[in-house]
Amino acid sequence: MVALEDLKQEAKNVLEGGTVKYIIGYKKPAVGFMAVPAFFHKPEDLDALVWDPTCVHNLVLFLKDEKKKKLGQKEPDERPVGIVVKGCDSRAVNVLLQENYIDRENVYILGVSCGKTGMVDLKKVRKYFKGKIISQIDFNENESFTVTTTEGKVEVPAADIFAVRCTECITASPVIHDVLLGGDSVRTPENPFGSLEEMESKSQGQKWDFWQEQLTKCIRCYACRSICPMCYCDECVVDTINFAVYPDTPAEEKAQKIKWVEKSPTTSENFIYHMVRAIHLAGRCVDCAECERACPMDIPLRFLNKKLEKESKKLFDYDVGYDTEIPSLISSFRDEDPEDFIR
Amino acid sequence: MTEEFEPKIVAFLCKWCSSAGSDLAGVSRMEYPSNVIPIQVLCSGSVSPLYILSAFNKGADGVLVSGCHPGDCHYIKGNYYSRRRIALLKELLNFIGLEPERFKMSWVSAAEGTKYTEVIKEFVDELKPLGAQTKLRRNG
Amino acid sequence: MEKILTKKALPQWLIKLNAYQIYAPVKKENHWSYEALDKPESIRLDHLNTIQSPKMIIFPQREVFFEFHNAEGNTLVMKEPASESSATVIFGVRPCDAAGVTHQDKVFDGHFKDLYYWKRRNQTILVGLACNTPPSPHCFCLSVGGSPHSTAGFDILMTELEDSYYVESFSKKGDTLISLAGDIFSTPKENDKKDKEKAHSDSEKKLKRHIKDLETVPPKLKDMFDSPLWEEESLSCIQCGICTYLCPTCHCFDINDEKDSSSPLSGKRVRTWDNCQFPDFTMHSSGHNPRPDRASRLRQRIMHKFNYFVTNYKAYQCTGCGRCIDKCPVGIDIIEVLEKVRDYGK
Ligand code: SF4
Ligand code: SF4
Ligand code: SF4
Ligand code: FES
Repeated sequence: MVALEDLKQEAKNVLEGGTVKYIIGYKKPAVGFMAVPAFFHKPEDLDALVWDPTCVHNLVLFLKDEKKKKLGQKEPDERPVGIVVKGCDSRAVNVLLQENYIDRENVYILGVSCGKTGMVDLKKVRKYFKGKIISQIDFNENESFTVTTTEGKVEVPAADIFAVRCTECITASPVIHDVLLGGDSVRTPENPFGSLEEMESKSQGQKWDFWQEQLTKCIRCYACRSICPMCYCDECVVDTINFAVYPDTPAEEKAQKIKWVEKSPTTSENFIYHMVRAIHLAGRCVDCAECERACPMDIPLRFLNKKLEKESKKLFDYDVGYDTEIPSLISSFRDEDPEDFIR
Repeated sequence: MTEEFEPKIVAFLCKWCSSAGSDLAGVSRMEYPSNVIPIQVLCSGSVSPLYILSAFNKGADGVLVSGCHPGDCHYIKGNYYSRRRIALLKELLNFIGLEPERFKMSWVSAAEGTKYTEVIKEFVDELKPLGAQTKLRRNG
Repeated sequence: MEKILTKKALPQWLIKLNAYQIYAPVKKENHWSYEALDKPESIRLDHLNTIQSPKMIIFPQREVFFEFHNAEGNTLVMKEPASESSATVIFGVRPCDAAGVTHQDKVFDGHFKDLYYWKRRNQTILVGLACNTPPSPHCFCLSVGGSPHSTAGFDILMTELEDSYYVESFSKKGDTLISLAGDIFSTPKENDKKDKEKAHSDSEKKLKRHIKDLETVPPKLKDMFDSPLWEEESLSCIQCGICTYLCPTCHCFDINDEKDSSSPLSGKRVRTWDNCQFPDFTMHSSGHNPRPDRASRLRQRIMHKFNYFVTNYKAYQCTGCGRCIDKCPVGIDIIEVLEKVRDYGK
């Protein structure tokens, strides 16, 4: 288990010493108990740093902003950014490294281990504690959480309130880090793709009914895209305007921009969006499940990415976010790749 | 009398092989169904999953991607990349409930006019019983 | 008109309203949402805040203005879609959401009347439910000029009592709804009235969140366009569209032609919601973007709601529903931002 004081100390050391320009971590919200992302610029701010099972966000996302900001600066501060990173998040760092989106020197990784449990799922917590006011959730040494409500503290088995992805997680401690707190946590889940099985066993018609209902709910707020550390393209097929437009881009080129997807949140357009999103994340998604958590409409987006993770493993023996030296899934092939589906 | 359903197939054909193969079938006056809307591409490796999704969105009942046989790609590796990408898209579309028969890939060389006609005939036969593709088609 | 309706009789009332399209909150796996109610007996009015407000019904996210196609002789034919809207009753509307409708009314009225909006709006009857307990932990209606029992925008407001509803009608449309099932309503007694008033005053005490001295914020905002506060407060904003799409008052839209075919030309002209938090919202075709970053977009959201709207319509463009706080994936809290504005430089 990570001792919060140790984490704070490590963070203070590098911020005070000027090793990093600032630190991306978590703090408590003004109201409620789910931690929120926080940016620490001064060592004394770090008193507010927290680490608990509500630190769900994948902070690697903010390295996109950092990169974009730096690109716009004439003389950017070249020191790395300090970042608190969980097991799943660390694999996102690796994917960004693998894709040469960031350099290793850009980040100082404060790795934290989830130990025996993982992150809570807010929806499950709300269901479990119907209407009770929660002030704090803490890790325990065993497979449980301690939840503090106005009525006192209770110990809750992790399985009752934690995120499905955490039950299928193999490396619950960072695979890349500058300091590691809380030690290694390698697990052997019985069935790392178990959550997909029910869906896979359905008939085509049932599957379609399910996804039609789910994806028709989508309001195309694009929170799923915006929250994803991997969605960093300057230009996305779903946007109405092409960001690769510069003052000298000729009018013909602008006029000829193909509209692949309409802005209307109708079933067909939502499907294009979500299929493109899923495919674009094949071999890149690290299953932090932030898209699903961010979705205001309660759409089980994780299924789509998890399915492709499973197939990448099954068909191409590809693991995401462990090796930064190998070529990415889509830009590589093996002679023995399956082709029994090809006529 | 109800007319028999004629599926609309959008076929992305590699310029160096399958597209030439389809030409060969044409000039050799081989008979095959006229359900195909061919789109010539530079290489099967240039077919983005977005093209395929877009074809379904615009009303295709079936989509075919056809390229050079392994080892024969004009750009050496395009068809290998394509093979991977298409395998993933196939799994994904299957997972969301599209009939797997609606989406096909084939290797057809410039000399295989006969194979091209067979691929199309088979595809049409498989698509007919499924009826029109309405799932991914633009609605509303 | 003031009446009493027993809880048991509620479905009977709905049955009598079968000439109307009825929407009501429906419980889903993890949330509530407004849906067309097909079985009156399934109505439940113990709903928490629905994810989307009734804005989605009165001002839907997508609306077809007309269809077009190129006919023979190269003439463009345009056709309005068959009118789908019929008289609609929305049940169980929360006071903040009704206030949201009144704000939208202001925007779509005035100099340019939005015909499409008013066609729906005029056919919509809002039947509200006072919030005896706040339906969201982030409710703060009292701070923005509303209240858990505000009647603004309602044709009817119901207040839950022990085993009945206290039903008050404020409009002809509301009176009609009651008269359609006249016999199942009774006349309130003196103690019913007292119970209702008690429920109302108790409900105000149950609100957990407030912003003090909000009235000092609009004048202050006028001088804060270039404040560094926006950058600080928006650091974690991911620029999704959640806070604005879900807001009952946000009303920005976009109009596009959706082509079905290029030759012969055919398609539809469609209005969809648009969103000031999206980077492409203000993107010019030259490539220049006058709101280039997160800070300027958060500023716009706050400025529009608490400065420009106040100037134009003498009201905050926020009804305190708490949706943007509850659903923001990174915990940006509009109350906190407003408090920072209020205390800025102090
Ligand atoms: S977050 Fe949810 S509602 Fe928003 S675009 Fe993604 S799937 Fe749609
Ligand atoms: S600004 Fe937020 S709290 Fe205010 S009405 Fe809109 S969504 Fe509700
Ligand atoms: S404030 Fe929150 S909900 Fe609004 S755009 Fe930013 S991240 Fe999305
Ligand atoms: S050139 Fe034919 S598949 Fe690459």
